[in-house]
Amino acid sequence: MPRWVTRIAVLAGVILAWEMGVRLYGNPQRFPYPSAVATALVRDLGSGRLVVAVVQSLSRVLLAFFFAAATGIVVGVAIAVFRPLDRALSPIIDSLRSIAPIVWIPMAVLWFGITGRAAIFIVAYAAVFPIILNTSEAVRRLDRRLFDAALTLGAGPATLVVRVILRGAMPTIIVGARVAMGFAWASIIAAELAMGIKLGEGAQISIGLGQLMVNTLYVERDLNGLVGYMLTIGLIAILIDLVMRQFHRLALPAGAIP
Amino acid sequence: MNKNAASRVVKHSLALRRGKSALRALPWELVLSLAVLGLLWQLASDAVANRILLPSPGLVLASLWQLLGSDLPADIAASLRHLAIGYFIGTSVGFVLALVAAASRLADALLDPLVELLRPISGIAWIPIAIAILGISEAVPIFLIAYVAVFPIFLNTLAGIRAVDRRLIAAAEVLGAGSAMIQVRVILPAALPMILAGVRLSLGVSWMTLIAAELIGADSGLGWRSFWYEQFFSTHNTMAIILTVGVLGYLLDSCVRLLQRSLTGWSRDLREAR
Repeated sequence: MPRWVTRIAVLAGVILAWEMGVRLYGNPQRFPYPSAVATALVRDLGSGRLVVAVVQSLSRVLLAFFFAAATGIVVGVAIAVFRPLDRALSPIIDSLRSIAPIVWIPMAVLWFGITGRAAIFIVAYAAVFPIILNTSEAVRRLDRRLFDAALTLGAGPATLVVRVILRGAMPTIIVGARVAMGFAWASIIAAELAMGIKLGEGAQISIGLGQLMVNTLYVERDLNGLVGYMLTIGLIAILIDLVMRQFHRLALPAGAIP
Repeated sequence: MNKNAASRVVKHSLALRRGKSALRALPWELVLSLAVLGLLWQLASDAVANRILLPSPGLVLASLWQLLGSDLPADIAASLRHLAIGYFIGTSVGFVLALVAAASRLADALLDPLVELLRPISGIAWIPIAIAILGISEAVPIFLIAYVAVFPIFLNTLAGIRAVDRRLIAAAEVLGAGSAMIQVRVILPAALPMILAGVRLSLGVSWMTLIAAELIGADSGLGWRSFWYEQFFSTHNTMAIILTVGVLGYLLDSCVRLLQRSLTGWSRDLREAR
């Protein structure tokens, strides 16, 4: 029996057991169950608010990721190329990295207000460290002979950075970016949840997936809707990972085994 | 005798030199870079000139010292309790499930799709439903940590057991070892580096999730406290909590790394990874 057949059979069994369990023994008012989750998902997709919230959250993630990638690649290349800078910055990077991103939320709200920008700060903070670490590691491992060859052929500093350093380090940088995107997607939900729960409905400017969950929890009290959003979050995490894998494959030099 | 003495002298001088260079290499860079960071922070807070927006490093350190004498120990204890309970449940469940999945094809076929379904759903996505069912309480962070800690341990233990060299097991069988002995003396030690890597991954994810879960869905612990101070605009206390979170996160990771080094220092992968 092929793998996917067992997988689907097992999942179907679990869904069936869950549905029967809640209907026969549980309280459908207090516990979510599959058919109601499906109904809620169809309803939210039909009204369009799920799509709007996902687009809002994803655009925040992309913007934050752009900041994180720009900063992370510059810092990563710099500390890989200049040893003294590495020795000076590494302890700072390590200590900042140990701080869970979400605990910055109170400060971010203070600095950036209750708009989406506080969430973007949190996401960029979560995403920047894997990119810095992977970039510096990749650049350090580049073959010295590539530099010598490029210099011999008359490459200037700009060519060296773009065509040798960045091009050579790109596959590993993208591995870091893949980890960073995973962190970013989890943190945007955390940041939006925190802002929604701690600061109340009136403060919302534009609703992301996290804030939509807060609304569903406190205003509508719809657990089935919540489970639908959780499944959406998982599905988007899978899609993001697939896209990043594709980028990684594209960045590999021709003929390399992924 | 002579040779012995000579080698002892060499060893001694090597140790001396190593000690000296460690003294020379380690603290200065740390001290210098922290001093620069502190200076930049001080300059920034002077420029902002608003102790609510950006308290100065001196003020933050002073409030850290003051909090250590009042609320902070209880908050740290609460966070560590959430972490310990959730982490213990999560890693035990993950470990046992991995043993079961490694032993039985049926269990593996049942567990694999569930893990693949649940794993992409981050712990944080569970916070609203955890609040709905458990209420705002310390049950929320404990549940979430148990949830996120399961996956790295499960996957790493399973992969570690599957990667054990068959020849080791065959050799033990030839030498007359029973199946229980093979499990305990051959398979587990050989899988230990992978398992400990899972322990470390789990702990990292758990720490991040702990702070998020406390901040959003609990009424105790460091994460909750950071926002609590914020509501009274005592930003210096919030910053002191942020510092504490960083230091504790670093210490926790160092503990696991120490464990890795002392238990599986023989593993080549680990030595290369260092």
